[in-house]
Order: sequence, then C-alpha cells, then structure tokens
Amino acid sequence: MRVALAEDGALFREGLLMLLQAAGHEVVAVAAGGDELLALLAGTPCDVAVLDIRMPPEPDGGLVTAERIREKWPNMGLLFLSHYAESHYLMKILDIGTDAIGYRLKEKVGSVEVLTDTLTRIADGEIVIEPVLAKRLVERPRGEKKNEVASLSERELDVLKLMAEGRSNGGIAGQLYVTPKAVEKHIASIFAKLGLHTDETESHRRVLAVLTYLRSQRDGD
Amino acid sequence: MRLEPAPTGDVPAAPTAVPSASAVAEARRRRERDQWQGRRRLERQLHDGAALRASALVLQLGLFRHRVPEAEHELRAAIGTLQDELHAVLQELRDVAGQIYPPLLDEAGLGPALRELAERLDAPLRVRDDGRRFGPAAEGAVYFAVADALAADPVSPREVTIAGSAAELVVTVTGGGPGLAELLLDRARPLGGAVCDVSTPPDETVGTGTIVARIPCE
Repeated sequence: MRVALAEDGALFREGLLMLLQAAGHEVVAVAAGGDELLALLAGTPCDVAVLDIRMPPEPDGGLVTAERIREKWPNMGLLFLSHYAESHYLMKILDIGTDAIGYRLKEKVGSVEVLTDTLTRIADGEIVIEPVLAKRLVERPRGEKKNEVASLSERELDVLKLMAEGRSNGGIAGQLYVTPKAVEKHIASIFAKLGLHTDETESHRRVLAVLTYLRSQRDGD
Repeated sequence: MRLEPAPTGDVPAAPTAVPSASAVAEARRRRERDQWQGRRRLERQLHDGAALRASALVLQLGLFRHRVPEAEHELRAAIGTLQDELHAVLQELRDVAGQIYPPLLDEAGLGPALRELAERLDAPLRVRDDGRRFGPAAEGAVYFAVADALAADPVSPREVTIAGSAAELVVTVTGGGPGLAELLLDRARPLGGAVCDVSTPPDETVGTGTIVARIPCE
C-alpha cells in the first residue's frame, strides 16, 4: 500500500516510517507538518495519509490538512494518530468524512499486524476507531440514551462496541467467534432496541448511525 | 548627646516605593496568570517529551518483534507485554497531564473540555457555550472548579453556561451542592474574579440553585 506520513515529533516519525516499511508498505511522502505534506503529495499517488492531529499548522494541523486532502484527493484514506483519544476530535474527524477514515492512539499501532489491519480497513473505505474510545462511547451514552443501551444483552453490547470501532459484520464475527449470520441477528436486535433504521447496509454508514446515536444529546447542546 | 538610630519601621518611604493596593492586587493576578501559563507549558512538555519518547519506543519494539522469527513465540509474547506496559505508562502520563492542564482545554476551550470531562466521569452535566475563548487562566480556573465540584460534591452541578466578552468570562452553574460557590471563589479570587449566589432559596436536596462567577481575562 502507498502511505504518506506527517508527524512533527522526529522520534515517532522515524519509528513509524521504519515500521511501515517493515510491514511492506511503500512510504511515498514523509513530512514534519501538514503544509509540507500537501506539497509532497502533489503528483504523488497515495492510498492512505497518516496524520498527527497536533502538528503544524498549529494547533490541530492534522484536521486542517485532512480537509485539504479530502478536497483535492477525495479517494485518499485518512488515518489520524494522537496521544489522546477524545470524542471531541472523533466528532471533528467524522465531520471531515465518514468513509476511509480512522482515529487511533499513537502507541496502539505499534505492531506490523495492527498497523496493516488499520490501514487496510481504511483503504477499503471503512471507519476505524480506537477501541478505548468506542468502548467509552458505548458504556457512557449521553442522557436519555442510557435506558435504551441498558436494555441490550451482554452479547449485544459486545457487538455494539465492535460496531462502534468500525468493524464490519465479518470482522465482528471473527472477533467474537460466531457466524456472520449470528452477528446480523444481533445487529437487527440492537437497532430495533435503539430505534434505529436497519436499512443501513453499508457498514461504515451503520457505524455512523451508531455513533451519532450515542452522541446525539451532545450535538443538541 | 546620644544619637538615636533612625526608626526604620514607621517612617513612610518615598511615595513611589509603596505600591498601591491596586498594584499589589494586579501583581498577584499576574503571578496567578503566569502560574496557569506554566501549567499549560508543563502539559506540552509532557506531550512533546516523555509521551512522544514512550510512543516511539512502542514502535521500535514493534519493529524488533517483527524481526524475531515467528517460531520464537515466547520472545514475541514478551515484547508484546513490554508494549502493553508502555501503554499503561502513557495512560498514567495522560492522567497526570489532565490534572496539570487538559490538552483539550488548551486546544478547544472550556466547553469541549468540560463536555469531555463529564463524559469520562459519566456525569449528567449539560454544557452551553458559543466557542468563545477566554485565555488559559480564566478557562483553567473554571475548568478545575467544576472538575472539583463533580468529583467532591454529592450533589453534582447539572448545567454550566459559558458566556462573557474579551474582557471577562461569565460562567453560570446550576444545581451544584453547597460547596460549589466556595470552589469557584477559590479559583476565581486570585484572578480578581467574583462569585455570587443568585439562586432562589436553596433547596438542600437539589443543590444550591444558581451560582454566577465573573473572572477578568488577560
């Protein structure tokens, strides 16, 4: 896969570059900031851009850079890395785009397997969300959503957490050691209990529906 | 004839050497503001220094693990454990940074930072704001007063409204416990702020009604 990388911390940037190369990816651009990356990307085909959120242009250059990338190259995947997993940034990220996009903690992409899995899912058009953050969203739904979420069975909660991470049906089935058919049944039941529409067949649309649901009171503030 | 040493304590010094009460207060405010700036710098230092080094170390270990032959299961597992340990270290650094000066408060302001806090604590706090910024001192003072109130009081604040101008942050908190006004005053006073209770007669069971804090901004 062709990957571009922008991160202002030299140690982390070098480390990620080496890990990306070890994983067999072609790193087509490396930069210490967003503007520099955009200049390098002109005329260079790339599948996924990896962006630090807190980098130049300050304060959150990763977000600004992502918006520009989406405008110029709408098909390029975006992976945000940060030292913090905050729902505030998750919502900003989903404002930029709801497909081929991801948000993960810097220290959680530290293996070839996880890094490649994350990049592949993004390149395939999925949403990838840091599990810690997905778990927090499911376990701490806002206000009146508490009762509905509390009505889910333990198994359905497991499925909902994996859905909030952006996992596809197949991915959820693999994680929980059940058949995709069983996952579909759980999802139908979850959507019914939460009062969401079940016609969201594409998994990233469904993730969005779930996240919006869990966060909707805040958006109404 | 004996010469009395000139009394030193009672003699008024030259008028320019005595700072006026308002100058003393202003100096105190400046020190307090500097202290909030210092907290913000410390958080950035943690982020750009220790945290970044630890995160980079996780990547280097990942590279190392990748180079270990697959048959070496134990060694690979041990490296994975070290990576998990570093994640725990980073988690602790994040906790400490949040108590020094939450990065989201610095980057996005009081409204987003308080919402994130309420979510983490699972507190039913509603936050209203228009995205306006008031500087690190006033924002820090209100953030930590509300955080203390959420952590300490059996009756948690229910709603925080953030308003004001470039010169003054005005925050209205409703539904907090009886200690809320004092918590706000402790943080507001060193910055030259004031707090007043504008509630209708307080009802012990639902908290003290409404407290308004006004803090000048730099």
